This record gives sequence, C-alpha cells and structure tokens, in this order.
Amino acid sequence: MWRVLALAWLLLALPAAAAPARVMSLNQCTDQLVLLLLPPERIASVTWLSGRPGGLPDAAGLRAKLAQVGVNHGLAEEVVRQKPDLVVAGSTTTPATRALLHRLHYPLLEVDSADSFADIRRITRQVAQAVGEPARGEALIAQMDAELRALATSRRAAVPVAALDGAFTMRPESLAAEVLQLAGARNVLVPDAGPVRGKPDLELLLAARPRFLVKGTGSGAPALTTGPELHPLLQRQLGPPLTIPQNLTACGTPLSVDAARILRRKLDAARAARAARPA
Amino acid sequence: MSRLLLPLLGLALLLAAAASLLAGSIWFAPADIAAALGQGSDNLVLLILREIRLPRLLLAASVGGILGLSGAVLQGLLRNPLAEPGLLGVSAGASLGAVIAIYYGFAAHFLLAAPLFGLLGALLATAIAFALSQGGGTLSLILAGVAVSSAAGAGVALALNLAPNPYAAYEILIWLMGSLADRSWLHVQLALPFIATGGLLLLRTGRALDALALGEVQAQSLGISVNRVRLLALFGTALGVGAATAVSGVIGFVGLIAPHVARPLVQHRPGKLLWPATLAGALLVVLADIASRTLVFGGVPLNLGVFTSLIGAPFFLWLVIHLRRQTV
Repeated sequence: MWRVLALAWLLLALPAAAAPARVMSLNQCTDQLVLLLLPPERIASVTWLSGRPGGLPDAAGLRAKLAQVGVNHGLAEEVVRQKPDLVVAGSTTTPATRALLHRLHYPLLEVDSADSFADIRRITRQVAQAVGEPARGEALIAQMDAELRALATSRRAAVPVAALDGAFTMRPESLAAEVLQLAGARNVLVPDAGPVRGKPDLELLLAARPRFLVKGTGSGAPALTTGPELHPLLQRQLGPPLTIPQNLTACGTPLSVDAARILRRKLDAARAARAARPA
Repeated sequence: MSRLLLPLLGLALLLAAAASLLAGSIWFAPADIAAALGQGSDNLVLLILREIRLPRLLLAASVGGILGLSGAVLQGLLRNPLAEPGLLGVSAGASLGAVIAIYYGFAAHFLLAAPLFGLLGALLATAIAFALSQGGGTLSLILAGVAVSSAAGAGVALALNLAPNPYAAYEILIWLMGSLADRSWLHVQLALPFIATGGLLLLRTGRALDALALGEVQAQSLGISVNRVRLLALFGTALGVGAATAVSGVIGFVGLIAPHVARPLVQHRPGKLLWPATLAGALLVVLADIASRTLVFGGVPLNLGVFTSLIGAPFFLWLVIHLRRQTV
C-alpha cells in the first residue's frame, strides 16, 4: 500500500516542472478545490454530484466553470475514457475505483475531508501542489485567513443557539461547529444536553434555552417529516431557523469561511429584529 | 369480572396517561406541574406538557385504540386469530403514501404532507384489496391483502433504492420504524377525526361479528349481510388505521396482541371484545411510548414501532405454540 502510494507520488513528482495537464476529480469536495485552483480547460471532469442543485457553493464563479467541464460518476471506466493526467479522489470515497487505480499505478491523489480550518489549509496546499498551482493555493489560503481574522476581531459574546446539521445535532468537533463559533454563536446542544448522534430531543432542546435555531440545509432535496425544528412550538419560541448552506460546511474548502460570514449576518439581523419586537 | 372489565381497563389507561405526562427526557414531579399551573404565564413545564406531551399522549392512545379495535374486528370477521390491520395492506399502503411524500420532498415543504399521503395510500390499498376479493370468500380477502401489501412493500423498497440522497433514505427508514416523537397538535387535528370516524364504523360491526362466529352461511341465515360487515370493517380500518399509520409510522403487533390480551376476559365473544380490545390497545401503546421515551441506549432513544415489535414477536411465537396445543 505505502509502496504504491509512494509510486503514485513519484509519478507526480518526477516531472516536477510539468504540472498535470488535465485533472479529474472523483469526490464532491475535491471538485470544489479543483474548480477553485484550475482553469476549466485543465479539468477533465468533476463528479455528477456537483452538478445537482445546491451541489456547489454560489461563490467564485464555480457554477460557470462547472458548465465548461466534463462529468464523472466516480467510475474507473470513466478514468479510462477521459485519460486525465491526475486523478484527485477523496480518501474514503470511491474505494473500488481507487483500488483499481492503485493497481494500475495511475497518478492518483487521495485527499482527506476537512474537519477544521487547519485541515482546509493542509488539503488546499496538498491539492495545489499536486496540480502544479502552489501560488494559487497560497493566495486562496491567504484570502481565507484574512477573512477569518476579520471575523475573529469583530467577535462579540456568543449567542446561545440550538445548532442542527440537517436533521441531526451539529457535531462539536466539526467544521460546522467552528463556523458556528466564528459567527458568534454557541451550540447549547452539546453532548451533555442531549444525544450527539441522531436528532436532538425536543424537550431537552427547549430546556437548554437557546435564543435561535441554526440549521445547516442542503440542496432542498428531501426530507424531514417530523424533525424537532418543524414542531410548531419551536417555530413559535425561536422563530424560523437561521440557515447555513451545507455545501459550504460539508466540504472544507477556502470558501467555507463564507458560511461563518453568512451566519454572522443572519444572527445580527435576527437579534436586531428581536430587540425591536420585545417578546 | 366482565362488568368491572371496562372500568378497570379505563382506570389503568388513565394511570398510564398520567405517568406519560410526567415521564420523558425531563421528568416532572406532580408538584412541578402544580407549581407551573400556579404561575399562570407560559413557562417551560407548561409548554412541554401542553405542546409536546399532551398531543403525544392523545396520539398514542388513539393510535393504540384504533389498532386494537381494528385487530379485534378483523380477527372476528376473518375468523383467524392471526389477522391484524397490516394483513389487509392498510399499513403498507399508508407507508408507501408517506414514503412517496418524503421521497419527492413534499414533506420538507409541508408538515402534513406525509400524513395526508399516508391516508390516501391506505384508502387506495384497501380499495384495491376489496375490489380484488369481490365475490370470493374470506380467504380471497386475505390473499388480496397480502398481494397489495407486497406490492406496496416493493414500492417502498424502490423508493429506498432510488432515494435522492442518503438522508432521504435514512428519513424513510426511521419513519418506517414508527414513532410519536416531535408530533404536535397539527398531527392530532389531522389524524383524530379519521381515527374517530373509522372507530365508529368498526364498532358498528359488533353484533354481526357474534353471528359470524357461527360461520358465514349461518350468519347470512340470521339476516346478517356479510358484504356490508366486510365493507364496514375494511373502510373503518382503512380510515382509522390509515390515519394512525400516517402520523405515527408503522406500529406493529398492537393490532394482533390487544385482542388476544382482552379475549379471555370477555369469554371469547367477538362482539363483546371490541371495547376491551380498544382500551387494551390504547394502554399498550401509551405504555410502549413511555418506554420508548425513557429507555435510551447510548444516547439513541428506541423507536416506538421497534419497541412494540420487540415485545410483539415473542408474543406471536407464544401464540403459535398456544394455538397448536389447543388444536392437538
């Protein structure tokens, strides 16, 4: 396994000056990095997942770029057909295709998913290096870090909120949780206030006295039918949820900092609205 | 004994209901509730009681009641101790309807989409089963029900297979396990009228069931219209159990167990069984709902439907062995 990896790296590293001409991404999160780092003519394809509604963040003209590149479904057949010079895959997704590419000694870069802004710096550098755009990578990281600093310096006392990621309680050690903290909110649904896994308990949620409900929302695809946030009582007590687009937090990229900015703005607006209309 | 049966069952149900208001992830002592009532204004205890636990209790009691009643009627009508609402395709039809609502995302935009589609699915499945069994006897009704159930089950599996994202598949699976968590007065408003109407239709079959116990031909000679009884039983089940399944998901085995628990207490008379089976069903589900709220395994509460199935399956086995001993 290590030898194969080393070999893959060697294949990448040998023509150090000659960056891979065409790159193929097999993972929705690496799609975003590849689209951010490379011009469309150097991208063989990205996954079909990014083409679905809400599959990509709105920012940075990514959607316009997406229209100019090919599509894949993470299949080895597609790698053969599209013949990219480098395949960028997630380190846990498309295992069968990755195993096959390993056996063929195909140039392959496996990228971890990012659970923090530190992870984002690491994987952005990793991918930028591999596709031969280290300067572009550093520029993206510098821009992200500047925005992170701006958010940190303007931080106020954290508002208690009940934070959900889709249907579930937001995980405490996750990118979404870091976004929440940067936006100036504190999740009351920490492990001792209810099950971390699964849906939060409605009674415990109320008893923890959050001021707002924050919810990571997906592409509008289904599906909750009976989520606690849909309960009329909660809607009345906390108002409609303040939403963060999950495509910014599920995938850690330099764009993820936008999620914190969006949430900060929504929190400020909701606070102002509540102050104007005392309960 | 039989004169005291209904009051005793009613009393047990009242006690269980009171316990169900106090129990939960936050336990209330009766003193807490008295203090909360004394405060007058809206406080947390009062809000949880009025907006979360009371609708949940009402749903548990009415869902359990209609399942028990429908089970008693169907076991009498089909003269088969293993009959239950699920057998006629009602539960499967309701599941398919709700799953379609979840799958196509209607449920995400409109809170009551899944229950409404569930109700429609139940009515449709029963109508098909009834039409298929026309002219045939009891056996053809059971067979038609099984066929409709399988078809609806295939539809559910298809939806799981094609689910647009893993969360949708998860939602569908969780919904199929049956639960009363996070239900509100909206769900009560939607389900209760249908459950009540279905219940009234089912209760009207009592006398005919006694006659049917002698056999279909004998019942007809006593002036009972078998077709009318069948229509009442089916339509009542579709309305009542359909609405119940639509708001709670599939809650298995209650329709099977409740009549069996109550039957020895009414000297095995099918007509006399209806009210006791209703109360026994309500009691079972209220108790199971308390258990599903308070027994938490590693942070994950047990779903109501899973809990009733866990109790129901061993009972089913016992029933099979017991029946075999009786017939030997």
